[in-house]
Amino acid sequence: MSIAHHPGDELLLGYAAGAVSEGVALLVATHLALCPLCRAVVAGAEAAGGSLLAEVAPVALERDAYRSLLARLDGPPSAEVARSALIAGEVPAPLQAYVGGDFGRLNWRHITSGLAYFPLPTRGKTRARLIRVAPGAAVATHSHRGEEWTLVLTGSYSDVTGNYRAGDVQSTTPEIRHMPVADAGPVCINLAVTDAPLVFEGFLPKLVGKFFGF
Amino acid sequence: MTETVDPARLNALVVAVAQARDKAAFQALFDHFAPRVKGYLMRLGAGNSVAEDLAQEAMLAVWRKAGLFDPGKASASTWIFTIARNLRIDAIRRERRPEPDPSDPSLLPEVERSADETMDWAKAEDRMRAALAGLPREQSQLIELSFLAEMPHSLIAAELGLPLGTVKSRIRLAMARLRLALGDGP
Repeated sequence: MSIAHHPGDELLLGYAAGAVSEGVALLVATHLALCPLCRAVVAGAEAAGGSLLAEVAPVALERDAYRSLLARLDGPPSAEVARSALIAGEVPAPLQAYVGGDFGRLNWRHITSGLAYFPLPTRGKTRARLIRVAPGAAVATHSHRGEEWTLVLTGSYSDVTGNYRAGDVQSTTPEIRHMPVADAGPVCINLAVTDAPLVFEGFLPKLVGKFFGF
Repeated sequence: MTETVDPARLNALVVAVAQARDKAAFQALFDHFAPRVKGYLMRLGAGNSVAEDLAQEAMLAVWRKAGLFDPGKASASTWIFTIARNLRIDAIRRERRPEPDPSDPSLLPEVERSADETMDWAKAEDRMRAALAGLPREQSQLIELSFLAEMPHSLIAAELGLPLGTVKSRIRLAMARLRLALGDGP
């Protein structure tokens, strides 16, 4: 798989710093599982975090802090090895923790015959959903009140800005207005994260968007 | 306060904790890092007692997870930064922290590096520090605000009275310089 659209430095830096919301972190982490290049960028940004930690003004702990910690050291070392027992094929581990199975078994909510979604339980200021678009089906034309980030997991889609395949991330800002259409081939499943509701055009899409809380 | 500590020595201390459960090494790590972790958390707005507790939790995690530390992947300072960052997200923001799992079968592996290409992160940390110090103020400020103010870039832009596009392009410039510093070879 060769990835053409990466999250970009701002998002990777925000992820490394721990400044992005859980939904965005989920999208970035899932992309990282598929993209060694961006993993290297994050490792570099985390090294900047390590340097800043070395320079931050230290604040002394309570006088007996070390002694009270000593008393807690004797528990067993943590066994954080078998974390990935859950993994099932196509779903990368960071996302697996939220969907708990493969995409076929999810309880998808249908909007139209070609379009379904599944909300993910992320906290914080963004909302994250899986969006499933059948080949040839479209997400109605919409613009954005805030930012929207989309990571393609399976299949591919196209809009006015280009073509997005598995592993690609599209970041849209409020001024972008688009109608993503799934390409022919396998069903297109995306992880979509928004920080504000979408703005659908036309009476019916508006109504449907409101009804489903988009 | 920049008392310089050799990053290679800090790495060796974590390895000693991992391999020998060495309490003297752990105390040296505690003395060095616990006040910095507490300072980092307070810089991000935690109160004294919350920062105190989390700094202790972070050091407990250092003791327990020392076996997971890989000097080929990060310096001790970077590794402990990520521990503190994740604890803070969990305890203060009450959010989960999704991360790629190195043992995930669907993880796309990196291209193998040859042994002489392997990064020496202790040296890389010195270079990173130098690179950060050498950034123009308008760029280093953005990196610091990302790490130490937890501000999304749109908010940083508003705060500094800059267009978001300017913030983004300065971040890209800064990241390119830092990448260059790391890419310089071991």
